Amino acid sequence: MADNKETPLLSVQNLIIEFATENGVVRATDNISFDIFPNETVGIVGESGCGKTVTGLSILGLIPSPPGRIVGGSIKFMGRELVGLAENEMRKIRGCRISMIFQEPMTALNPVFTVGNQMTDVLMRHHGLTRRQARDSAIEMLAKVGIPAPAKRIDEYPHQLSGGMRQRVMIAMALSCDPKLLIADEPTTALDVTTQAQVLEQISKLQAEFHMAVVLITHDLGVVAETCRRAIVMYCGRIVENTSIEHLFTNPRHPYAKGLLDSIPQIRSRRLEELPIIPGRVPDLLHLPPGCRFAARCPRADELCNEQIPTLSPAGTHADRVACHHPYAAEPAGPAS
Amino acid sequence: MEILQYSIRKLFSGIPLILGVTFISFVLMVYFGPDKTYELLGKNPTPEEIAEVRVQLGYDQPFVVRYADYLRELATLDFGNSDSTGERVDALLARTIPVSLALTAPGFVLGNVLGILLALFAAYYRSTWVDKTIMASAVIGMSISFLIVIIGFQIIFASSYGLGWFPVRGWSVNSIGDYFSYVAVPTMATVFVALGYNTRFYRSVLVEEMTRDHVRTAKAFGVPPTKLFYKNILKNSLIPIITRIVFSIPLVIISGSLLIESYFGIPGVGKITYDAIVSGDQPVLKAVVGLTAILFVLAQLLTDIMYRAVDPRITLK
Ligand SMILES: Nc1ncnc2c1ncn2[C@@H]1O[C@H](COP(=O)(O)OP(=O)(O)OP(=O)(O)O)[C@@H](O)[C@H]1O
Ligand code: SF4
Ligand SMILES: [Mg+2]
Repeated sequence: MADNKETPLLSVQNLIIEFATENGVVRATDNISFDIFPNETVGIVGESGCGKTVTGLSILGLIPSPPGRIVGGSIKFMGRELVGLAENEMRKIRGCRISMIFQEPMTALNPVFTVGNQMTDVLMRHHGLTRRQARDSAIEMLAKVGIPAPAKRIDEYPHQLSGGMRQRVMIAMALSCDPKLLIADEPTTALDVTTQAQVLEQISKLQAEFHMAVVLITHDLGVVAETCRRAIVMYCGRIVENTSIEHLFTNPRHPYAKGLLDSIPQIRSRRLEELPIIPGRVPDLLHLPPGCRFAARCPRADELCNEQIPTLSPAGTHADRVACHHPYAAEPAGPAS
Repeated sequence: MEILQYSIRKLFSGIPLILGVTFISFVLMVYFGPDKTYELLGKNPTPEEIAEVRVQLGYDQPFVVRYADYLRELATLDFGNSDSTGERVDALLARTIPVSLALTAPGFVLGNVLGILLALFAAYYRSTWVDKTIMASAVIGMSISFLIVIIGFQIIFASSYGLGWFPVRGWSVNSIGDYFSYVAVPTMATVFVALGYNTRFYRSVLVEEMTRDHVRTAKAFGVPPTKLFYKNILKNSLIPIITRIVFSIPLVIISGSLLIESYFGIPGVGKITYDAIVSGDQPVLKAVVGLTAILFVLAQLLTDIMYRAVDPRITLK
């Protein structure tokens, strides 16, 4: 909370993304704003459909369009505006300055090309290496992410590798061009618990080694607790809380965040595949209430909540931000962390 | 070696298909097809003459024996002589198959190549006016009957009422120039009709591939759109494309285009098949049916081997 003067690596302001669906226009993210600073790991958590993946994709300009489009807001990366950036400029950033890894290691790699073919492509494109150099560099990267016998593995096809290995290949590919920002969209959800831990450890280790910032999208509060320094909690297309890990787990201020944590007693010691269940139903994005989207499930809701959408409290860079008319009180700093 | 073993096994496993197809067709020929006896006899034949012709045609034998003969002919690829003209069936096929091939190949190749190209455009510009225009034209093309296209094109391009650029019908090819002039209108008509179907099919294959996760990954790593198409999408879509193309080859070779050949009066396999059906010329029919079935089995084998080359996940077992 001290480094207020640091400039953010990524700054998202009032981002609005809409999808045209058969039943009407759906606003997948509604005025979301957050900053990511160099070298930090930030978790984005929230229930299914709250807009996590869409947020990640928008940073790389990969919102499937049609049906989706960025309606408003700004995404600045190293001071450069990415919304509306020409495709050919955007392509130089993708996989090079900003990398993204996806949830589905089974399908995210192309089944008809070898691991090496897919990896060298990226290196040749972004770093102008020859095929030979790219291959050596790819083998080196595979070794770094803990793939045994990388010189042999590089000529295998994705289906010859296990899920964990494939996800490592994805990570190796994502890091091969030395990105400043890695967006990891549920990178371990599809893996078994042991592999999950190994892959996360690998990401943390490489994060330090490569000096990059990581945005970790996940359902798993345990993962957030272990790997992140800060967490952004999303609900129904809006950010409801953006706070340090210590505060999130000891002193959550938004009733939704508090609800999540209250329903899991020993969060730090237990891994959760899904977020804990809070009673009530998530409103349909097509029929949102006029006021706070969490009102129907919130123990603190009142008239004001039903009428007016709470906005994220403005804050200095790393300070806690919360979007609630009646947040729980912030405990004075001290024994909390 | 693996491929050879696989091929032999695959060919053996094609035998039931060949047996099934030939058996059903033979039943149809023998019990429901025209009887050639009286056509070959003069007026008021004597019972002896009738019996003699029937022996000649093999009609006197029991069905089982005749079917066994058919299988023997198929195995040796010797189908004897045509009942109608007395010409050897193999000579007949050797004369007509090249004509059909020469007639249908340009339309087949163009129809598929243009179909894939248009589909690439439509898929690349998905949901824009480019896509909508291409797909609307495809539907229009598909909804016009082949016959109307043939007649329309004959009038427009070949008749004296229209442009009169090409011969209306026939096939007297002595030079490459002749070939182009005779093949032009049939090719245009085939392409016109096939293009709609092909474009729609290939577009749906490409669009399905475009929405796959690995394509999103490729984009996320900065692959430019042209490369995305020719490398990441096209190779993955090759399986349905190969299937469609290879399986239409037997039809293109053997039956040619029945409609085209009869409308343009072109002496190809389609024409002789049609004549053989009408007149009940069993030796010719037996050859055409049997060879088509064999070609289908070969096509199946060919696609399997090509799948293996395209998709590393497929093993030949
Ligand atoms: N291709 C699409 N077409 C239409 N709507 C979409 C599309 N992708 C996302 N959306 C909309 O955006 C919302 C957010 O989707 P997103 O994939 O970001 O959710 P998520 O938080 O990543 O969920 P999950 O945890 O299940 O991955 C969805 O509820 C949906 O309404
Ligand atoms: S704004 Fe009101 S309804 Fe919404 S979370 Fe806060 S207290 Fe609950
Ligand atoms: Mg998601």
